[in-house]
Amino acid sequence: MENENPGKPKSSTADRFILLAVLLLLVVFPFFGPPLFFLSLFISIFLFISLTESWNLLGGYTGYISLGHVVFFSIGAFTTAVCMNCFGTSPFLTAILGGVVAGGVAAIVGFPVLRLKGAYFSISSLLLAVISQLIFLNWEFVGGSVGLWYKLMPVSIEANRVIFYEVMLGLALLITLVVRYVEKSKFGAGLITIREDEDVAKTIGINTPMLKLKAFVLGSFFAGVVGGIYGYYLSFIHPDITFNINTSLLILLMAFFGSCTTWTGPLLGAVVLSLANQLIVTFIGAEISRVLYGLILILVIIFMPNGMIEYLKMGQKVRKSQVG
Amino acid sequence: MLEGIGVVRRFGGLTAVKDFDFKVEEGQIVGLIGPNGSGKSTLFNVITGFYPADAGRIIFQGEDITRSKTHEIALRGIGRTFQLVRPLLGMSVLENIATAVLYGRDHIRSMAQARVRALELLQFLRLDKKKDLPASSLVAAERKRLEIARALAIRPRLILLDETFSGLSEAEVQDAIKLIFRIRDELGTTVFLIEHVMKAVMGTCEKIIVIHYGVKLAEGKPEEVSRNPRVIEAYLGKRHA
Amino acid sequence: MDINYFLESVISGVLLGGIFALLSVGFGLTWGAMQVLNISHAVFAVLGAYLAYWSFVKGGIDPLLSIPMVAFLLFIIGGVAYRLVIRPVTRARDVLMGSMVATFGLTIVVENVMSGFWHPDPRLLKPSYTGTSLFIGEIVISKASLIGFAMAIIAIALLYIFLHRTFTGKAVQATWQNPTGAVLVGINRDRVSLITFAISIASAGVAGVGMGLIYSFYPSVQNDWTLYVFLLTIVGGVGSIIGTALTGLLIGLIMGVSAAFLPFIWVNILLFLLLLIILLFKPEGIFGV
Repeated sequence: MENENPGKPKSSTADRFILLAVLLLLVVFPFFGPPLFFLSLFISIFLFISLTESWNLLGGYTGYISLGHVVFFSIGAFTTAVCMNCFGTSPFLTAILGGVVAGGVAAIVGFPVLRLKGAYFSISSLLLAVISQLIFLNWEFVGGSVGLWYKLMPVSIEANRVIFYEVMLGLALLITLVVRYVEKSKFGAGLITIREDEDVAKTIGINTPMLKLKAFVLGSFFAGVVGGIYGYYLSFIHPDITFNINTSLLILLMAFFGSCTTWTGPLLGAVVLSLANQLIVTFIGAEISRVLYGLILILVIIFMPNGMIEYLKMGQKVRKSQVG
Repeated sequence: MLEGIGVVRRFGGLTAVKDFDFKVEEGQIVGLIGPNGSGKSTLFNVITGFYPADAGRIIFQGEDITRSKTHEIALRGIGRTFQLVRPLLGMSVLENIATAVLYGRDHIRSMAQARVRALELLQFLRLDKKKDLPASSLVAAERKRLEIARALAIRPRLILLDETFSGLSEAEVQDAIKLIFRIRDELGTTVFLIEHVMKAVMGTCEKIIVIHYGVKLAEGKPEEVSRNPRVIEAYLGKRHA
Repeated sequence: MDINYFLESVISGVLLGGIFALLSVGFGLTWGAMQVLNISHAVFAVLGAYLAYWSFVKGGIDPLLSIPMVAFLLFIIGGVAYRLVIRPVTRARDVLMGSMVATFGLTIVVENVMSGFWHPDPRLLKPSYTGTSLFIGEIVISKASLIGFAMAIIAIALLYIFLHRTFTGKAVQATWQNPTGAVLVGINRDRVSLITFAISIASAGVAGVGMGLIYSFYPSVQNDWTLYVFLLTIVGGVGSIIGTALTGLLIGLIMGVSAAFLPFIWVNILLFLLLLIILLFKPEGIFGV
């Protein structure tokens, strides 16, 4: 019994139960009639959880920091918008297509770009984002500088909000579970090895270009699906909104804040930073809020340079060694 | 098993390996020696695909691997260690090896199975007691054993050991010599090693190749090579030859 | 195609390129020497522009005369930023990522403080002599661009001299090339990093003054400037002053040439595409090592 799976930590049933309870609460939350504001807040949190987790497949596990995740988010959004305008199809159906298109673009673009290392890769991804934004701004078919509208759902504002709440919750959950699964799988082990030492990874048989590309494409696919749905939620999309570089930096930030080494990090980062931002804006005011937000970032990096989860783990180790 | 024909590797104006022929037969323990900077590690890097050869061919088990990529070469059956050991510091000792098992030639998919095999390997190298510790907590000699374990984890037919004996104490050298024989005899893996520690070379190798400024200086049994005047001159200068 | 229009376009592009070069040189310095990706570099340039603006509008000091003051003030600010923000980050496991996040925070702070104090209306440095243009034959050249360019070239030259001719500058290079070795010969790494970063920010401020003479600026323009800084640094080769300077001129040339033929929006696309391709095939940059 002992040697069946050496080295694998035991997961507790109590943890699982708590998680399930939290999830159930989240699912039924909208039906207790909370103010729409809360639903919007949660939708935004679910969005960032989805984006940060999907980003982490490449960024966190392999260490290839992409600043272009928004590109795939946008591709998904514009795909569903175009489909709705041309064929009248609901984005709930075509979001998958958005993901596939995004993944396809990632496959083509990733092939040359993933050969670069470190900051060079990051800046290439930034360049791609900028170029894509410029192209979309000048492309009449996707609305150019005017943007694209979605047809609204024939339901009340409340119902609209609730529907998107549940769908985004579902997406966030699905993506997080997939990322968690990957982390614990052979695929994940390979990715993490690439981050640790790419040369060594090659010497033990890991096809590093292929693995990086897979992580990139998978993450981009999810970003595309999310974009397809979220665009519909916004009901109006425009390259200046969807290709915003600040969003790319925010994703990076949230993943890093939470610790990008594990699936719980981006989740925590997205939740904490979104809530923090909202709290600051509500109680202190929009003007100073941004300054405060920036200050918090700086402080966090200084005191928790490897992210929150790693910081908590360190604390745990220290406490364990003191007790034992 | 492994054969190099006319291998050349240049770095800008410097030719690190020049027209180098070598042969390692299956089941042998072969040593590659030479003064510092003579091109030994460069040759290993060319064999394993880190540098492309500028000319010549490398043949492994009848297949030309000159243009192959590093991971393909690993999957064909060549494992290697690095001169300056490169443990995967963020992972545990067990995970270091388990990952290699997963991606190695056994093509294992199950994490559990990989960990079992990894544990066996750690036992072979007497690192099993530290299996759950982070790799960063190992001392130098242990890190070397980890490096070797990882190379062996892909179940190679041939292992390239790069200066395994450097910095080892007297007792550790003896242990390492025994280990090399165990690798050959118990695991059936051919060994090709780069070494500076002469005691180790003499104690393990049945054939020695001497490289000097990228050129093959001598090749043969240890006793012959150690008495070769050109070899002595290369190491100690003309006076001693 | 009117040859004069073409030449004007090219010249204007090149002059601008020189100023972009000054803007980027400091960024490459901190990246190469400290592995710090200072996203806040451009926002300090904007700060420099604002300082020059207020001393001109409120104090009547000519922008060119205010350059030494701007450089000095931003040197101090850079030093403070180093001590408070950058130095702690250099201890993180991944300095590149950590510095990206920390300087992002710094950017947000500085940009919004400026926005809060001075309001995001666009400003422009307009001393009297920049109103007129220079005429060479039939070609019109904006005096502001010329002055900005001259200023940039001088500043870049000074920076180069500092790095290569002064003792401190050589210490900076030594630390960059071989951190351990530098410490072993007695160089105080912390001191050197402080000076490097402070000089980098100071140069950004001076570049900002130049930019402010030509372009109207406002706090969030730092987003656009940052992009150019990245591109010039990468293509020119991280840390190579000459490389970055030449790249600035090259980019300016490309911008000028394409502006003469293409509608403006396509100029940027072309530029970034070109740079992406260079990055893919020669990541060390055209002049990089």
